[in-house]
Amino acid sequence: MKADAWTAERIGLTWLRAAVAPVGAFGRRHDETIASYGPGDETRARAEIADVVDLAARLDGDGVTRLRAALRAVPEPGAIVARARAGDPLNDVDFYELGRFVDALDVLARAWESARGEASRRPPVLEALRALLAPGRSGGEFYLADSFAAGLRESRAAVERTEERYEALREAVAARVRDALGIDVVGEELVVLRGDYDGPLPDELLVVRETPTYRAARLRVTVPGRDDALARLATEEDAARRALAERVSQQAEAIAAVTRALGALDRLLARVAFAQRWEGCVPSFARAIAVDDGVFPPLADALAARGRGYTALSMRLDGVAVLTGPNMGGKSAALAATGFWCACAALGVPPPARSATIPLLERIEWIGGEGPADRARLLSSYAVEVVRASGVLAGASPATLVLVDEFARTTGPREGRALLIALVEALRGCGALALVATHFDAVAEAAGVIHLRVAGLRAEALDTIRASDLDAALEAIGAAMDYRIVAADGAATASDAVALARLLGLDARIVDRATAISDSAQTRFRR
Amino acid sequence: MIVVGTAKNTGKTTTFNALRAIARRRGVTVAVTSIGRDGEPSDALDSEPKPRVRLAPGTLVALPSGLLPRSPALAVLGAGEASALGTIVFARAALPTACEIAGPPSARAMRATIERLRAMHDGPLFVDGAIDRVAALAGGEDAVIVATGAASGATVARVASIAADTVARLSLPGRDAARERARVVHIEGALDVRDAEDLLANARGATVVVDDPTRITVRGALFAKLREAVDLRCERPLRIVACTTSPVGRDATLAPRELVEAVARATGVPAFDVVADLAA
Repeated sequence: MKADAWTAERIGLTWLRAAVAPVGAFGRRHDETIASYGPGDETRARAEIADVVDLAARLDGDGVTRLRAALRAVPEPGAIVARARAGDPLNDVDFYELGRFVDALDVLARAWESARGEASRRPPVLEALRALLAPGRSGGEFYLADSFAAGLRESRAAVERTEERYEALREAVAARVRDALGIDVVGEELVVLRGDYDGPLPDELLVVRETPTYRAARLRVTVPGRDDALARLATEEDAARRALAERVSQQAEAIAAVTRALGALDRLLARVAFAQRWEGCVPSFARAIAVDDGVFPPLADALAARGRGYTALSMRLDGVAVLTGPNMGGKSAALAATGFWCACAALGVPPPARSATIPLLERIEWIGGEGPADRARLLSSYAVEVVRASGVLAGASPATLVLVDEFARTTGPREGRALLIALVEALRGCGALALVATHFDAVAEAAGVIHLRVAGLRAEALDTIRASDLDAALEAIGAAMDYRIVAADGAATASDAVALARLLGLDARIVDRATAISDSAQTRFRR
Repeated sequence: MIVVGTAKNTGKTTTFNALRAIARRRGVTVAVTSIGRDGEPSDALDSEPKPRVRLAPGTLVALPSGLLPRSPALAVLGAGEASALGTIVFARAALPTACEIAGPPSARAMRATIERLRAMHDGPLFVDGAIDRVAALAGGEDAVIVATGAASGATVARVASIAADTVARLSLPGRDAARERARVVHIEGALDVRDAEDLLANARGATVVVDDPTRITVRGALFAKLREAVDLRCERPLRIVACTTSPVGRDATLAPRELVEAVARATGVPAFDVVADLAA
């Protein structure tokens, strides 16, 4: 399913993608390989969503949070394994990271068992890796331990012996220098001031610089076999690492399979968390839309942040419908929610609704308003809408959902209405699903499509609202508004614009004057 | 304990190694890391030979994975911040090992690295530091040692003067409510030459507060004049405990005893030549 940036923003698809983003690198990579569902993918989409809903019901929310935290902490072994497979040497940090991978998977498995309440089976590769690294692991550390190779212990013992001899010899030389020159050498270098001593230096000192005031020297400490012992140990250690890397490379396929499974789990848990938060359902798939008690989470979240409630929506859309209703009645939100529910199904996410029948679409398009990209083109609001409508119509098909929000509202109402009727007819002609919100009268009837309306302000509530400030007014309007979408049955829809302006605090003299003008116009019209 | 230098090749790593050698002689296990890149066989810029950092068994080190010695192997205890030379690795030497040390690029990452070393190790922590980043790292009780030497000046007097200037700047006292003047001027960011001239013209007698001593970029006579004219203080003071001297520079060789004595006199803190075993 495709949607351009403006549409994605308006229908909450951008929000949705962020809400179901995987927490770990595996999940992100996995997500990149999975296209959204489109027409023909109904069985797969339903299966994924059913899995999500099933797991959301069986896992508790805290358990999912812990699982996702555990997933986020799993380190990525891919690069290490790839290098091992290519025959490149691995270093001790690589083995340490593989150990962390094993530990993190253990934590994840325990979180899974705790969330599910049952034991889970670890993939055999985990035990293989654990056993492979075990000799070098202690409390999360990794050391290339003696037991990794037969010769290591002996080589290290040889180095220890030569180093001890070196240190003992160095101390002895330093003591002789101290006795002879009175200089306490803490490292390997020293400076002998000519003012203090200008005689011959002990044989154990190698002079590296002479100046008129001092001689700089280095302790001459030579332990036979020291360099050989170090070189032999380096060879043994590299051989041990090569052998370990070879055994890691033998597990490459199994490790890759585990990381793929982690990616799939990450995607699944992201959707489970969403379903638990928004109580999604397993949808049925059809070409029409029938959603009961659906939620538009981006708006519900925004309202909740302001302490206001969200009213669940029910929507029926088969073909093209025109949606009318009062200002602030939620027409744009209904359009966005409709797109959002379809986007959910396309992403394998349970639509947040009591029940849903929705289509898998090729495209969702939004006509109305202007986004940053539109403004950058320096077009007028009207031109933006017309250009966008042209593009949408050119690509519209029965697998397109077109959401039209007050098209042509910025031009003269007579021609604007005519254009909208023609647009609706064209959308019907190309078989697209479309929901068209407008304040123009009788567009649905003229275009021969279904007319839906927002039930609107409860008349009895209008006179009782006394709001002290804007927030209180919005709260009161929300309480007075009946957001249900119902069949219009040919009735004209009031916009309640003047009444709402009064509630929103517009100067009473202006509101009264507008009421008088409106009443007079209606009287003339009736004559 | 953080070692910083007044210039390149002033014996910072030599001082750092001497500290570790003394700790080892006393049977104290230490943790070490570096802000710059240290312990490489020769200087990356001038190819002059440089001292290696030799880790005694048990030493805890934070260094990039790209500099982790292959042999003798170290125990890898943890991984942390990213750096150009690989992830910073926390490791413990099992056998004596010579290596280079470097640290992460940002002050934030360096702080995180040092905090982790502190959490892993309750003994002394030595940092081969950089003067411009010392303030971001040093806490209240941390000691700072200033390494100076012939690389920063051609004469004993010049080296001592630069050391004195550096120590005076880094030793800026912290705020003291009891002694604060009626007018307090806060300097956001660096206190540069223009700020100094402005303060001399308009804020004589005031208490002037900078975030930390390294924010002061004025040097020499102007700095001395400023200290006399205003009560210069900082929010986060440093504790300068000593200087070390290196008489050998690329262009000059100075008299070691004269140098160590001159530096001690000029800075007012103990000075040591750790190679010539001199103290003043």
